Amino acid sequence: MLKTTLAGLRAHKLRLLLTSLAITLGVGFIAGTFVLTDTIETGFSRKFSAAADKIDVVVLPGETSDEPAVPADLLEKIREVEGVADVQGVVRGSAPLIGKDGKAVGDYPTAAVSILKGRLNRTEITSGTAPEKPAEAVLDANTAKTRGFAVGDTVTVLDSEGAKHEFTLVGLFDVGLDQELAYYGAVGFTAETAAKMTGQKGFREIDVAAAEGVPAETLRGSVSAAVGSGVEVKTGKRYAEDLAKANGADTKVLTLGLLLFGFVAMFVAALVIYNTFNILVAQRTREMALLRCIGATRKQVFGSVVLESAVVGLVSSVLGLLTGLGLGAGALAVISRTGLEVPTEGVALAPRTVAVGMVLGIVVTVVAALLPARAATRVAPIAALRSQVEENTFRAGVLRLVFAGLFLAAGAGVTAFAVSTGPGESELFMAMAGGAVTFLGVLILGPVMVKPLSAVAGWVPRRLFGVPGRLAVDNSRRNPKRSATTTVALTVGVALMTLISVLTSTMRATYGAKLDEQFPVDYMVQVQGDEGSFPRALAEDLRTRPELASVVALRRTDAKAGAKGNEFEVGTFTPAAGFSPKATTGSFGDLKPGTVAVGDEAAKALGVKVGDALPVTTTKDGEVRLTVVALFSEADALIPEVTVPHGDFDRYFGALDDGAIFANVKDGVAEENARKAVEAAAQPYPTAMVISSTELRGEFDEALDMMLMIITGLLGLAVLISLLGIANTLSLSVHERTRESALLRALGLTRPQLRRMLSVEALVLGVIGALVGVALGVVFGWAATSTMTTGVIFQLPAGQVLAFVALSGLAGVLAAVLPARRAARASIVDSLAAG
Amino acid sequence: MTITGEVGAWNARGNSAPAVVARGLTKVYGQGDAAVHALRGVDITFATGAFTAIMGPSGSGKSTLMHCLAGLDTVTGGQVHIGDVELTGLGDKQLTLLRRERIGFIFQAFNLLPTLTAEQNIRLPLEISGRQADQVLFDRVVETVGLRDRLAHKPTELSGGQQQRVAVARALISKPQVIFADEPTGNLDSRSGAEVLSFLRTSVRELGQTIVMVTHDPVAAAYADRVVFLRDGLLVNELVQPTPQSVLDTLMKLEA
Ligand SMILES: Nc1ncnc2c1ncn2[C@@H]1O[C@H](COP(=O)(O)OP(=O)(O)OP(=O)(O)O)[C@@H](O)[C@H]1O
Ligand SMILES: [Mg+2]
Repeated sequence: MLKTTLAGLRAHKLRLLLTSLAITLGVGFIAGTFVLTDTIETGFSRKFSAAADKIDVVVLPGETSDEPAVPADLLEKIREVEGVADVQGVVRGSAPLIGKDGKAVGDYPTAAVSILKGRLNRTEITSGTAPEKPAEAVLDANTAKTRGFAVGDTVTVLDSEGAKHEFTLVGLFDVGLDQELAYYGAVGFTAETAAKMTGQKGFREIDVAAAEGVPAETLRGSVSAAVGSGVEVKTGKRYAEDLAKANGADTKVLTLGLLLFGFVAMFVAALVIYNTFNILVAQRTREMALLRCIGATRKQVFGSVVLESAVVGLVSSVLGLLTGLGLGAGALAVISRTGLEVPTEGVALAPRTVAVGMVLGIVVTVVAALLPARAATRVAPIAALRSQVEENTFRAGVLRLVFAGLFLAAGAGVTAFAVSTGPGESELFMAMAGGAVTFLGVLILGPVMVKPLSAVAGWVPRRLFGVPGRLAVDNSRRNPKRSATTTVALTVGVALMTLISVLTSTMRATYGAKLDEQFPVDYMVQVQGDEGSFPRALAEDLRTRPELASVVALRRTDAKAGAKGNEFEVGTFTPAAGFSPKATTGSFGDLKPGTVAVGDEAAKALGVKVGDALPVTTTKDGEVRLTVVALFSEADALIPEVTVPHGDFDRYFGALDDGAIFANVKDGVAEENARKAVEAAAQPYPTAMVISSTELRGEFDEALDMMLMIITGLLGLAVLISLLGIANTLSLSVHERTRESALLRALGLTRPQLRRMLSVEALVLGVIGALVGVALGVVFGWAATSTMTTGVIFQLPAGQVLAFVALSGLAGVLAAVLPARRAARASIVDSLAAG
Repeated sequence: MTITGEVGAWNARGNSAPAVVARGLTKVYGQGDAAVHALRGVDITFATGAFTAIMGPSGSGKSTLMHCLAGLDTVTGGQVHIGDVELTGLGDKQLTLLRRERIGFIFQAFNLLPTLTAEQNIRLPLEISGRQADQVLFDRVVETVGLRDRLAHKPTELSGGQQQRVAVARALISKPQVIFADEPTGNLDSRSGAEVLSFLRTSVRELGQTIVMVTHDPVAAAYADRVVFLRDGLLVNELVQPTPQSVLDTLMKLEA
């Protein structure tokens, strides 16, 4: 029996390979995920430990301390400790670098770090030298490149007070794997300069080097004793381990996210395998019956199918692991191309990866083949003697309808309940669980739906492609179970893609509407990183610009408010025509001296409503009791959570600088003129960033598009596998219908017509799968958006959805290319003779 | 195909030009030592409106001859004419169009598409070539083969004999210049076989159809106007107005 099975497999190498490909891709994706994240993880820990090798003991801010810094005075204390060879503090803060255009670079202030000296230095200077003098600075290589600075240039950096300082750029450095520095860009100074520029009183950490012959652990003990409580003292080795662990937690999120897509792909692959084995068993009914006739037991027949699947599983898992290795390496190469700092060395299959890949590949394949194998045992020996191939007639069994009905009702019920309960995390999960259950219902109902759906999907081809078209549509529903399983594999991918595209377009619409509502201004001038302020002169200047219609300045500070005396953001806005925040209760019209408007969240925390009195502790006017006249939605309005009239604000807190400015363009002024005017006014203030509402929307759109692209790309794998399934089903069907094709050819069907017939069949299958997928995706996309947040504006991305359907059909046609070619090439005479 | 409308005109096609002519037909399968000479130079003419049977021992080249004559297979040497068209040298596309327009087929088994009803199967060749079925002819053919009440059935719902009758109707409906039948009654019992054969003979007599039929059965061969005998790829004998007995005798002689 074993020999027969193996001989059968050898005889059909191509089929074996095609079947394996589905599992290979699934396993490959999962293995690739592991390879990718393993490489990143080991790369990071290697770098961490290399860096930590230079340090024997490190002192870090205590976990419980309010101030996330190591007090500066500890430095001298540690220097006194027995066995300390060197000790230096690491300063880190922010210091905006001024670009060549005179404005601070980037959306956030540049990070500023102290470059340590001697053995403790962990920064790699890539060109030039490290800063030695107070007037010297180094810049991270990436920022230098993008901002056009070179060694020898003079750079201007703002200190924490906003004053300009000039430095000579003496070198460039590599930020290594420090994501914070990589993200913000970094400028390095000597320790003293760094402290001065950032205004930091303490250190991010204090690094200690041990004297010759002093063990790190011993030194840790004595340093720990010297610094007392409130800070954490670790050995360098331990520090590296902790960093690696924290980083591992980050990569775990990436791993889990990617694995999710891997499992979707595996599920689709399982469907493909199940279908393939089902068809193989059906086609080999005679062969199996013959085996039974000559004395093979049911068990042996079952065993032979399971064995075949195990071999397929084994082969595809091995290929999958190799694919994974390639995918992982490829992904790393692509990521490092985009400029992100990732380790790319030591790409390898960990034993865990091999084990998971092999087990998953083999188990999924064998389990998917179990049902077909059982069907094989049901083949009666007498079937060997029947000459006419029996057409697979399918009738919708009562049991199937009952089960499908139950699943669909349960899925719809749960989802409807979740949607009607309203937004919330658990409701979202409930809606998605409902989606999964509904999908199972669709899976069961599949064969019943094939016929009506093929009528829909085949409506156009039937009319367009003549006889081949009509025959193709008939063929597409001739074996409903087979067609259903083939198409459902595609449904999975298309449904998820549709879901994501519904989500993104709804988010886009919702956000756009919210932006219109809460950002009813054309320009906003903000301090870089939204912390700090600029002189009132800027707003005054803007008010004189003829291109602008109205200018609103926002001022704010933190102050204690309410009975409990918690800190809130208290502020005001200067009134201007056309700028009127919306109140949810009360009215902004009543915002007169001695009153206050409170945001909804703050009102909840303060326990106040319209008409109540709110005590606020001011700096110039002691405690004042204000009457609440309006509540507003914090998410929708741009004003501080506790807003007082602007005259009052100056009285309470003094003439503070503006924190942000909103400006509206006068009607009829061209966009670029308005922008120039605002930018000209902001030019003298390096950290004043000009943001336009169109830009803001564009950025959001871009981020959404990016997300849509990545997710669609990841789901593309599942779709690719399901297309393999279509190709597989089709080529097996073509094989099954060899005689039929020959007959048609004899009767006068040309080769292109025969090819077209198979292409149309694949097209219909693809469109059926896509139609179901799109329907599920839209419905559950809607359910997801309406359980996610309030006030969603549901948006159906009709263009994208239609594209999914069209592309699925097209992809089906592509999948049919090879089987169709083979069918058309076959000699008529040989095919007529084929049994 | 100029004849349309009534059956009478088609009947009057006359016996002037031969329907199929083969000259020096050779067919070799494989190469070198493994070469099989299935046809070694066959010269044969099939008259229009005649019913010809091809007989011979198994492996003598009957099916091969038929496939070559029908443009289903390429020949190694010689020429084949269907009406005024020479087959040798035609490409696949032209051969297909020729089969579509001028040739009908009846095979031993698997004659029908399982997805189509009997009526759809009958009309299939016409639809493929985009022609309209001649309703008068359709009714007459359906009537003749006695399938009126079976038209809406799928092949699996028909008996073997009924399936073959559908195949006969399908071959007749497109008014081909010639019908090739390879053991059309090979799978049928003698009564169903006799039915099918008498339809074939009726179509020759009444519709003037040209039929070439391969068979092993002397009784079947006796329905034909003429029987030709093949052995080892060569035409060795021929009988006109055969009877089962005369066919049997000739076969005995051949095999001796
Ligand atoms: N595709 C092929 N390749 C090689 N040899 C072939 C092929 N087809 C037929 N032959 C050989 O050609 C010869 C004639 O075969 P053919 O099928 O024409 O015989 P036949 O007279 O129809 O026999 P039967 O009565 O058994 O149907 C045989 O020897 C056969 O083995
Ligand atoms: Mg034969």
